[in-house]
Amino acid sequence: MKFLKVGAMAAAFCIATATMAFAGPTYDRVMGDKVVKAGISNKGKPFGFIDANNEWVGFDMDMAKEIAKRLGVKFEPVVVNNKTRISFVQTNPPKVDMVLSNMTHKRVRDEKIDFSITYFFDGQKFLAKKGAIASGKDLAGKKVGSMQGTTSIVNAKAYLKKMGDSNPKVTGYQNEVEMFEALRSGRVQAISTDSTLLIALAAKEPGKYELVGEFISDEPYGIGLPQDDSAWRDIINFTVQDMWKDGTYMEIYNKWFGPDTETPFPMTEKIEMWP
Amino acid sequence: MFKHYMNKTWVQNLLLALMLGLIAYYFGFVFHFDYEFNWSVLYTETEYGHMGQMLLNGLNLTVSISLYSAVLALGLGTLFGLARLSNFKPVYAFATAYVEFFRNTPLLVQLFFWNFALPAGLPEEVKMKLFELDFEFWVATLGLGIYTSSFMAEIIRAGIQSVPKGLLEASYSSGLTFNQSLRKIILPLAFREIIPPLGSEFLNNMKNSSLAMTVGVAEVCWSAQEVEALTYSGFEATAAATVIYLSLSLIIATFLNLVNARLKIIGNDGVPIIRRIADVVFFPFVKISQLLSDLFWHLGRAPVDTRTLSPGAAAWLKIRTNSWAAIVLAAKVLFVAFLVGIVYQTFKGLASFNYQVIWDNIRALLIWRFPHGGSTEVFMGLGGLSMSIIMAVISISLSFLIGLVVGVGRTSENRAIKVPCMFYIELIRGNPLIMVIFWVYFFLPPILKIQLDVFWSATLAMTIFFGAYIAEIVRGGIENIPKGQVEAAISTGLGYFQTMRKIILPQALKQMLPALVGMFIAAFKDTSLAYIIGVMELTTAAYSINNRLMLYPFEIYTTIAVFYFICCYLMSLYARRLERKLSPENVRLAM
Repeated sequence: MKFLKVGAMAAAFCIATATMAFAGPTYDRVMGDKVVKAGISNKGKPFGFIDANNEWVGFDMDMAKEIAKRLGVKFEPVVVNNKTRISFVQTNPPKVDMVLSNMTHKRVRDEKIDFSITYFFDGQKFLAKKGAIASGKDLAGKKVGSMQGTTSIVNAKAYLKKMGDSNPKVTGYQNEVEMFEALRSGRVQAISTDSTLLIALAAKEPGKYELVGEFISDEPYGIGLPQDDSAWRDIINFTVQDMWKDGTYMEIYNKWFGPDTETPFPMTEKIEMWP
Repeated sequence: MFKHYMNKTWVQNLLLALMLGLIAYYFGFVFHFDYEFNWSVLYTETEYGHMGQMLLNGLNLTVSISLYSAVLALGLGTLFGLARLSNFKPVYAFATAYVEFFRNTPLLVQLFFWNFALPAGLPEEVKMKLFELDFEFWVATLGLGIYTSSFMAEIIRAGIQSVPKGLLEASYSSGLTFNQSLRKIILPLAFREIIPPLGSEFLNNMKNSSLAMTVGVAEVCWSAQEVEALTYSGFEATAAATVIYLSLSLIIATFLNLVNARLKIIGNDGVPIIRRIADVVFFPFVKISQLLSDLFWHLGRAPVDTRTLSPGAAAWLKIRTNSWAAIVLAAKVLFVAFLVGIVYQTFKGLASFNYQVIWDNIRALLIWRFPHGGSTEVFMGLGGLSMSIIMAVISISLSFLIGLVVGVGRTSENRAIKVPCMFYIELIRGNPLIMVIFWVYFFLPPILKIQLDVFWSATLAMTIFFGAYIAEIVRGGIENIPKGQVEAAISTGLGYFQTMRKIILPQALKQMLPALVGMFIAAFKDTSLAYIIGVMELTTAAYSINNRLMLYPFEIYTTIAVFYFICCYLMSLYARRLERKLSPENVRLAM
C-alpha cells in the first residue's frame, strides 16, 4: 500500500512539474531556453533532403538556420513529414516551434495553427515523361500519382474531373521519392505536386521529363507556427522581411533555385514588406 | 478483513465501477486536452469531400486485401506445409527455404522488395501489363498472402506431425490404405490441432493488411492518415480507425470461437449454447463434407490382392503401376530442373549485383552515422541494424515485465484485477502495431504532457504492444500448470504471492521460453514499422539510401533482407533448440 501511495505521489508530482515547466507561449520558451526547434522535411528535395554525404540540407534548412542565427538561439532541426508537420506545432507543448516544410498556407490549416507571411511562391503542376502528354486535356483517363497528406490529391482529382475524366485515378504515395519512382517505372503516366518539387525530381534524370499544362493551383508557402502566439509570429515575420531587405533571402534562394542550380525556378514575386 | 471483502463479487464490481468513474472524472473535468474535438468531420461533407466515405472505402479495401490474401495464404500454406513433410529431399529443401525465408524477414521489407525491386527486374512488356492492373493493390495482397502462408505452412506441418505415429501404424495394420488413413485418421485429428492457430493467423493477416498503406493502397490506416492531413482532426480519425480494426478483430474472433466450439469433443450430457449456434452456422459445411466423403467412398476401390488376379489383369496392373511410377519420376525430374533453374537465376542475379554499392553503404546500414551524429540524434547518430536490435531488446525486456504482471493479473479470480488486464490485452491485440505506434506517437505526449522523440515513441509503442502478447503467453503458461499444485501449495500454508513466486512461475516461465524467444523475433522484425514515424532503424536506413541512389533497389533491399534473415533465423534456431530441450518427444511423421 505504501508503495502505491509513493508511486501515486511521484506521478502527481511529475505531472505537476511537467505542466509548470512547459507553460507559457513559444516566444518565452525559445528566448528562455535559447533553442529553437524547427520541423523540416528530409525527403522533399530541394527544400529539405539528405544529400550524398548523408547531410540534411535544403532551402528550408538554410532559411531555418538563418532565422535561428538572427534570433541568436541554438538551432535544432526535427524531421517532419506531410502527415506530421501540422500536428507537431499543434500539440501542447508543441514538438517544434516552427515548421518549414514546403507547406502551403491554407485557410483550413490556418484554423488549426498560425502562419508567417509567405516565404516562397509555388503552384501545382503535372510532370510526365517527355512527349507523352501534350496538354492538360491529355491527362484525362490517365493514371496519376500524388502524395498522401497534401491537398495535391484533391487538386489533381478536381482538375482531372474538369478535363473530362469522370473517375480520376489518383494514387497517394508516401512521399516525393516514391511518387517519382512510380512515374519512372511507368506505373503512373503523370505525377502532380508543387512545381519546384517536380523540377527537382525531374533533375535526377535530366532531359527525360517535362512539366505539362498550366498551374492548377497557387501554393504560397508559409512558416507554420503554434496558434495564438503573437509575439512569436511577429518576430518570425520581421526576421523573414529583414532577410529579404538585406539580400540574404535571395542569396539562399539562388543557392537552391538560381539559374545554375539543378532546380532553376525564377523568382517572380515579392515577399510582403511592411514599412 | 480486507481479504474477506475483496473476495465478494459486489465489492469487486464496485471497485471496477469506481475505477471507471475516476477515469471518466479525470478526463471529463480535471484534465484539459487543449484540443477541440470535432467528431462531425466523420459524418459531414467537408471542403475536401466526405471523410466518413473515405474511411468506408478504406474498410472496403482492408477487407478485400485481407480476404484475397487469406485465401492465397491458405492455398500456399497447405501446399508448402505438406511439402515440408515430403520424403523427396528437393521438395523438402525448397519448401523449407521458402518457409524460413519469408518467416524470418519483416513483412514491410518484403513489401518494399515486391513493390520497388521486383518491377525493376521484369521485362518491359510484362511490367506495363502489370501496371495497367491495380498494381499496388495486388502487390500488397500477394506480399501479404506469401508472408502469412509461410506461417500457415508451419502450423499445418506441426498439426499433421502432432498425430502420434502409433495411430498411423495402427490404421495401416487394420488394413486401411494410405488415402483412407489420411482422410479418416490423420486429417480429422490434425485439423483439431491446426484450426485454432490457423484462425489467429487469419486475424494477424487482417491486422498486417495495414502495412499496405506504405505502398500507397488507400486502406483504413491510409484513409485515417489522409483524413488527418485534410481536416487536422487526427484524434477523431485515428479513433475511428481503431474502432474499425477492433470491430473487424471482434468479428473474426467470434467466428473463430464458433469454429472452436464446433470442433470440441463433448460428451452426451449438456450441449453448451455456443455449440448449438456453431452447429447451425456450420451445418452446410458439415453436410458438404459428408457428401464428399460418401462420394470418395463410392469412388474408392478395395485393395487388390495380386495373388488372385488373372494373368491379363496382372499385366494391366503392372503397366498401370509402372506408368504411375514413370509420371512421378518425370514430375520429380521436372521439379529438380525447376529448382536448378531458380538457383541458377538467383546466382546469376547475385553475380550481377553491384557489390561496390553494398560495400559503400554497409557501414550506414549497420550503424548509420555513429558516432558522428548531430546533437539532436539519439545515441550519437546510431541507426541501422544496431538500432533495430537495441529497440527490440529494450521493448521486449520492458514488455516482459508488463506481460508478467498483466498475465498473472489476467489469471486472477478477482474481477477488479482481471477485467482491467483483460481490457488491456484485448484492446491492444485487436489493433495493428501501426495503430499503437500512432497513438503513442501523436496522442500520448499531449495526454501525459511529456515530450517523446521518435525512437522512444516507437520503443514504448512496441513495449505496450508486445506486453499484451506476452501477457497471453504468461497466462497460457500459468494455466498449463496442474491445479493440484496450487491447492497443494495453499494447503501447505503458502500465500498467493509465495505460491506464484516459488511454485507456479518457475515452472511456467521455463515452458514459456520458446514462445518468448519467438516473441523477440517478432519484435525484432516489427522494429521495421518504426520506419513509419521515421526512426533510423535498418529499414529506414535502407529506404533513405535507396532514395538517394535510386538505381540499386535490388542490392539494398536484398542486403537488409539478408541482415534480418540472419538475425531472425539464428534466434529461431535457438528457440527450436530450447523447445527440443524442454520437450523430448519429437517424432517426424513422414507422408
